[in-house]
Amino acid sequence: MDILIYGIINSFSLALMAIGFTLVYGISRIPNFAHGALYVITGFLVWSLVHLLKLNYVVSIILALLIMGLVGAAIYRFVLIRVRGMATSEIIATYALGLAVLEFLRWGGFKGMTYTLPVFIEGSIVIGGIPVDLQRVIVIAIGIVVVTFMWLFTHFNKIGLALRGMAQDEHAAMMLGIDSDRMAVIAMAMGSMLAGIAAITLLPLGNIVVEAGYNVLILSIAVCIVGGLGSWVGAILAAFMIGFLQIITVAYIQSHFHMVVALLVIIATLILKPSGLFGRQKELEERV
Amino acid sequence: MLEIKNLMVFYENAIAINNINMKCQAEKVTGIFGANSAGKSTLMYTISGIILDVKKKEEMKGGERITVLGNITFEGMDITWMKPSERAKKGIVLCPERRRIFAESSALENLKIGGYLATKVQAKKTLEYVFSIFPALVKLKGREGGFLSGGEQQMLAIGRALMAQPKMLLLDEPLLGLSPLMEAMLARAIRNINQQTRIAILISEQYARPILPIIHHGYILENGGAVLEGNSRELMENPDVKSAYFGL
Ligand SMILES: Nc1ncnc2c1ncn2[C@@H]1O[C@H](COP(=O)(O)OP(=O)(O)O)[C@@H](O)[C@H]1O
Ligand SMILES: [Mg+2]
Repeated sequence: MDILIYGIINSFSLALMAIGFTLVYGISRIPNFAHGALYVITGFLVWSLVHLLKLNYVVSIILALLIMGLVGAAIYRFVLIRVRGMATSEIIATYALGLAVLEFLRWGGFKGMTYTLPVFIEGSIVIGGIPVDLQRVIVIAIGIVVVTFMWLFTHFNKIGLALRGMAQDEHAAMMLGIDSDRMAVIAMAMGSMLAGIAAITLLPLGNIVVEAGYNVLILSIAVCIVGGLGSWVGAILAAFMIGFLQIITVAYIQSHFHMVVALLVIIATLILKPSGLFGRQKELEERV
Repeated sequence: MLEIKNLMVFYENAIAINNINMKCQAEKVTGIFGANSAGKSTLMYTISGIILDVKKKEEMKGGERITVLGNITFEGMDITWMKPSERAKKGIVLCPERRRIFAESSALENLKIGGYLATKVQAKKTLEYVFSIFPALVKLKGREGGFLSGGEQQMLAIGRALMAQPKMLLLDEPLLGLSPLMEAMLARAIRNINQQTRIAILISEQYARPILPIIHHGYILENGGAVLEGNSRELMENPDVKSAYFGL
């Protein structure tokens, strides 16, 4: 029972962390290695707004998310647009950016146990005989809301549909009047906001630490690779697979193998099925 | 409506378009006929601007050098260096060779994505129109693009391009790989689209036979150069054209 409940919670956490990364990769083929840094920045941003500017928690969250959207758009507009299409340069640029931000925060003294965000609602409920913090229930709720929203957005909204067109065939989308740079800016802005939403939901469960940036990046990459690069359905399935594997490992083996699972899964996928669980775009192309 | 002057396109040092001059009239169907690798697709990608994006990406990667010379005007405006998405906004919409359907989206979603530039009202009206010229698509709405047959994909690709509200529709080898029955059906549909909507059409084909009767004016392309031009009758009666493009 614990495994089921904590597995679900962990899976939704992973899905939340990875969805922004997958979105950006799926649409603009940019592996955003600054994703983890964006996650951590949001944490510190909200903390600063609450503690330094003494703003209300909800206002701080909304403000932080808006700022993250702008930051994401700016990263594309001023940095990525120049290296677009050169995968290695994209990785170096985003990774360097992420490293710089994280290490700057560390140098600036944001470390240790002092920085925390309050949970949304105090307390816990008992599910099937196991007490679960309300914040963890909220993780599931927000996970469901975000996934549902993204599904509706990409299936019924004009911009969302255009993003999917761009993800499948960039040139075919351009012929229909969809602008590649505009879509990439939107994808980066949304990806950053999604990193922010993950941070705001998950950080109250622990401390805001720089290391979280690296972990979130590794987990996002794991989910994205296992799911089949850029496949959104695949990413969600992968989040569940890795989520449960992690919890099972923690329960039956050792808790500090938590991250090792993610790394092993990346390696196993790359060896056994490099296209991932849902890497079927290729197969389809060959069929036609 | 569209005017091409001294257009040259090179891939590295190989010439793909050799000093082409041509005109497409508003509301008319213009044909381009040429054998495999005559330069039809390159011309289509150059008119729609996709070649500029390919060129940019190749430059980024340090790949092959693509050179475009000459100029293209559309409704009196020089569009030679305009982005493809801007050209689509001005009304030049390409329905590319091999269709390039969004394979993982349903047929209906393909059409909706095509309607990116359309207003809600336009999208609704055009969607109805597409289903009226291609009734076969109605049943296939929910099917993924990748699972449609070649003919179904071609109807969908033309429908998707129409959704973008073109003033000038570019069709690159729309009959490629289709059965004679499907060829005849599509040729009729293309003529109907032109007659009913007054959208100008530029159509390229390797085999002229099914298309020649529906064009108003046509060009014969050889090794990247336009070697002959004329209206439908003139081209049909030209002995060289007969042997080369009719297989008579
Ligand atoms: N990306 C490319 N790189 C190099 N050469 C190309 C490329 N695309 C087309 N070509 C060459 O340009 C010429 C014209 O090709 P294309 O425009 O595809 O002709 P068509 O559509 O009439 O078959 C051919 O000789 C082809 O080999
Ligand atoms: Mg061609």
